[in-house]
Amino acid sequence: MTIVDFQDVHRAYTEGDDVLAGVSFSIASGQVVGLLGKNGAGKTTLLRIAMGMIDAQKGSARVFGLDPRTEPLDVKRRVGYVSEDQILPPQLRVDGVIALHKSLFPTWDDELARGMIERFSIPGRQKIKTLSKGQARQVALLCAVAHRPELLVLDEPAGGLDPAARRDFLETSIQLLNESGTTILFSSHYMTDVERLADRIVMLHDGRVLIDTELDELRESYSLALVQRQTDVSREGLLALDACLGVRDRADALHAVFELEPTRVEALLSGEMGLREVRCTRIALEEMFIELAGGQS
Amino acid sequence: MQIVITAGSELPIYRQVMRQISDAIAGGRLRPGDKLTSQRQLAEQLVIAPLTVKKAYDELEREGLIRTERGRGTFVTTMALELDPGEQRERLRDPARQLLSRAHLAGVSFDEVVSLLEEERAELDCERQRRTETPNDGSGGTDS
Repeated sequence: MTIVDFQDVHRAYTEGDDVLAGVSFSIASGQVVGLLGKNGAGKTTLLRIAMGMIDAQKGSARVFGLDPRTEPLDVKRRVGYVSEDQILPPQLRVDGVIALHKSLFPTWDDELARGMIERFSIPGRQKIKTLSKGQARQVALLCAVAHRPELLVLDEPAGGLDPAARRDFLETSIQLLNESGTTILFSSHYMTDVERLADRIVMLHDGRVLIDTELDELRESYSLALVQRQTDVSREGLLALDACLGVRDRADALHAVFELEPTRVEALLSGEMGLREVRCTRIALEEMFIELAGGQS
Repeated sequence: MQIVITAGSELPIYRQVMRQISDAIAGGRLRPGDKLTSQRQLAEQLVIAPLTVKKAYDELEREGLIRTERGRGTFVTTMALELDPGEQRERLRDPARQLLSRAHLAGVSFDEVVSLLEEERAELDCERQRRTETPNDGSGGTDS
């Protein structure tokens, strides 16, 4: 079953400057999708469109087959949302915020909420404004998951948190996955978190989907070629190759990412093209991100 | 048994899980009939996606090393160490090739690779020896 469906989504904040310039992909039930891209790539914009917080100017976004703009309640009841810049009412007490959310969601699970309050030692009587950043994010997470949503949308949920708080966040997400098979769409700059949680990644670049693949596929079927500078090869020459996704110009060499296994890239570059001093390796997610985000036009 | 995974390593996480379980079987730390940690537990314990654990277990099951019995759990098979030798040999072709090309890239000679293999074999033999001297406590592979 399709949970989220983006079709040719366009969005600009100033005319002629598209943040999203035709994004299409869909997410099946139970998938965990990591949304990657450098700052300004449009991740937050896309997630906000899915949440019905802003409009797509062209194309469509559907969640559970519904339009989040015209049927926001039906969508929001079944979704949990946490973002880095989420603001909870600062003057309210923590237990007040939790009670408020409970009243909004018919499927609220008291036991799950109590479990999280205990595990995180959430201070119910304190006002939101007295909480640390990590505590406030934990309250936000509790409010986002205690109604056992079918879809969890997390916009840089671990941004600004220390490693221990990030791990708590991951553990909670994984428990939910275990218990309810929740579908998750999340953006993150922490590649190690992405590797732990995601089974598929979608990378946005220049307003479009640059990569959309299973994470393991990415790790096993993509490679990085380091090609030493020489007269018979150029950035453009490499980019013209079908399997080449991006080239980054470095002082000593060209770094090219290929959608091919290392041995095949080596055969292509040193064999068919006769280039000298080519080294091909598999590539970890973080390196992949740096090579692609830094290597595009 | 303890599994340690490293996010950000060259090896995908499911392969890290697979490798450590098959190493444990090869080294005698897991024996035929031993029960593995459940997929759910392992996902929570390692803080990795349940699907990743499932993928590792599915692959190991396909290789015949473990077997899942509905409602009972996942166990190391008795045939784990006695699969069709021809097929087993073929399965090693890929890692063998990888080892050789890595050695080549690293400038390590073939003879050195062979002596490396011999060293590792001695190490494994030692480990197996120790395991048979200390009888299995029967708690299975989940003493974490």
